[in-house]
Amino acid sequence: MAVDEKKLTDREKELAQEFAARKDDLRKCNHQVGMVMDLNKCVGCQLCSMACKTLWTSAEGREYMWWNKVNTMPGLGSPKDWQKMGGGYKVKFGGEVMEPVRGKHPTKKEFGDYWDYNWNEVVNNPAGKVHLQARNQEDGSIPEWGMNWDEDQGAGTYPNSFYFYLPRICNHCAYPACLDACPRNAIYKREEDGGVEIDQDRCKGYRFCLEACPYKVIYFNFITETSMKCIFCYPRLEQGVANACARQCTGRIRWVGFVDKPESIIYKLVKVWKVALPLHSEFGTNPNVFYVPPLAPPRLDQDGKLDMSKPRIPREYLRYLFGPEVDNALEIMNKEMEKVRKGGRSELMEILVAREWNKMFDKFDKDPAIMNRVPPKGVTYDRPGTK
Amino acid sequence: MANIICKKVSGSAKDLLNCTNAIWQTGTEMIETAATPLANQPSPYIKGVYDEEKIGAVKKIWMKSVHNADAIFFYLEWESDKPNLKIEDINVFADGIALLLPMKDIDKTPITEMGSKDYPTNAWYWRPDFDEKPKNQVAHGLSTSLYTEKSSITSNSKWENGKWRVVIGRALKANRPGEETVDLTPGEKIGIGFAVWEGANGERGGVKAFSKEWRFLELEA
Repeated sequence: MAVDEKKLTDREKELAQEFAARKDDLRKCNHQVGMVMDLNKCVGCQLCSMACKTLWTSAEGREYMWWNKVNTMPGLGSPKDWQKMGGGYKVKFGGEVMEPVRGKHPTKKEFGDYWDYNWNEVVNNPAGKVHLQARNQEDGSIPEWGMNWDEDQGAGTYPNSFYFYLPRICNHCAYPACLDACPRNAIYKREEDGGVEIDQDRCKGYRFCLEACPYKVIYFNFITETSMKCIFCYPRLEQGVANACARQCTGRIRWVGFVDKPESIIYKLVKVWKVALPLHSEFGTNPNVFYVPPLAPPRLDQDGKLDMSKPRIPREYLRYLFGPEVDNALEIMNKEMEKVRKGGRSELMEILVAREWNKMFDKFDKDPAIMNRVPPKGVTYDRPGTK
Repeated sequence: MANIICKKVSGSAKDLLNCTNAIWQTGTEMIETAATPLANQPSPYIKGVYDEEKIGAVKKIWMKSVHNADAIFFYLEWESDKPNLKIEDINVFADGIALLLPMKDIDKTPITEMGSKDYPTNAWYWRPDFDEKPKNQVAHGLSTSLYTEKSSITSNSKWENGKWRVVIGRALKANRPGEETVDLTPGEKIGIGFAVWEGANGERGGVKAFSKEWRFLELEA
């Protein structure tokens, strides 16, 4: 869309120029990896979270971090009420103007406590004397929030109550607000795959990225004084092995592949079938993680009969999360499901059912057991203005 | 503007490093500091959402410098109603102060850019949570500052009655492998600049108050 200069304020012009100047840098990657998660299949088991935790965030100031987490929706998630913390861009004039939106820092408490249970005390005392209790590892206090604290609470009233799970990682955005915010050029997109990474050697822990990220998926490491987040398992991708969260997923809800290669399943689900949508696309960062929205079972009426007059999950809520495109996505899925019910075949349903799990990872289908586990060489590379 | 004189004194390093030493109670000089200009911020986000009027809570610092032929000491005092002693949470920022020294020709070293590719600057950076071991860093322009592997800078500090008092000290000659820095020589002068961060005002990185122009520091022979 052409910009009508007359409609732009001086401030907007300045922002447009600013953004144009950095645009090429921001997009400087030869390919873009992405992930699709089917929310109809997620059972909230957190195996993805545990795979990620075990691999990346078990020590050295990362204990409280969940680079991958599964939130219950509707819910406040982690950090608590993150959807209202700001950040991202106000996209104007068809993308010519990307006006940064001020964001708020989440606190450590809002991300959530990490705790242990007093199993030993319970087991080593007479029955009933000590009850099971969670205590924060840091100071023994009672936990107040966690990465899925409002688990399964959901919304609505019986028998039409509802909830669904929303696994969250870094969205490895095409226009990463974090990258734009960093005054040290410590954040960059990997040329090979477009993954957004924080160079730990350049980061000085100023935390502008935490303010600017509208998904609030960046954490601050209090020991190294640097910011850290999901790295899209780039050391695994480099050896043809899919992300730990995706490999570990027992529900087969995650596909990994290139968003820009027509032969990839990601491309098919996002661009051809249009059933996989970014979360809060109005944040303006163009995420590369996409969700197949939840259909949910039908409602029941007062007599316990199926009530097809309206969906169980209010459409307005799904539009809030996934934009107006969610209507079309759900319609396509319903249509394709109907086709299969009538004995037909559906390429879409075959993809989503995922009978062959190892076909879900594009060329990243190698067994992690083959990996050379020498620590990666590091993420430092020379970017303009860093030397 | 007149040169800042760094007098030669006979005190011991231990005494001179003490921020409550009587020597620091007279003859301090006021340095004006101002918000870093938004236009210079190397971040479209900071440019877009921050308000220059609200940056740079500290408007002035008082300083004095002496040397004892072996080491140099800088006394720095400024007002800070609420001391931020450390990064207690993600939304908490520590107070800080830094000296900036041009490593080469002062006339070719832009203070507002913390130097350039060919004309780097050396900063001595103090923060209350650095255990009185300020960091030595080198910058080749905005967004490029990096801590050097080693630092022989020491400090002594105290916050009391709404004021920070900090003494930063170091051997006159400290340039050695791992601590790329500026050596100082009695009888010579060097450019000096200042930056100060008020943590309670969310100041960190380039969001700070700084002295807009180089001053000369003259070390008595």
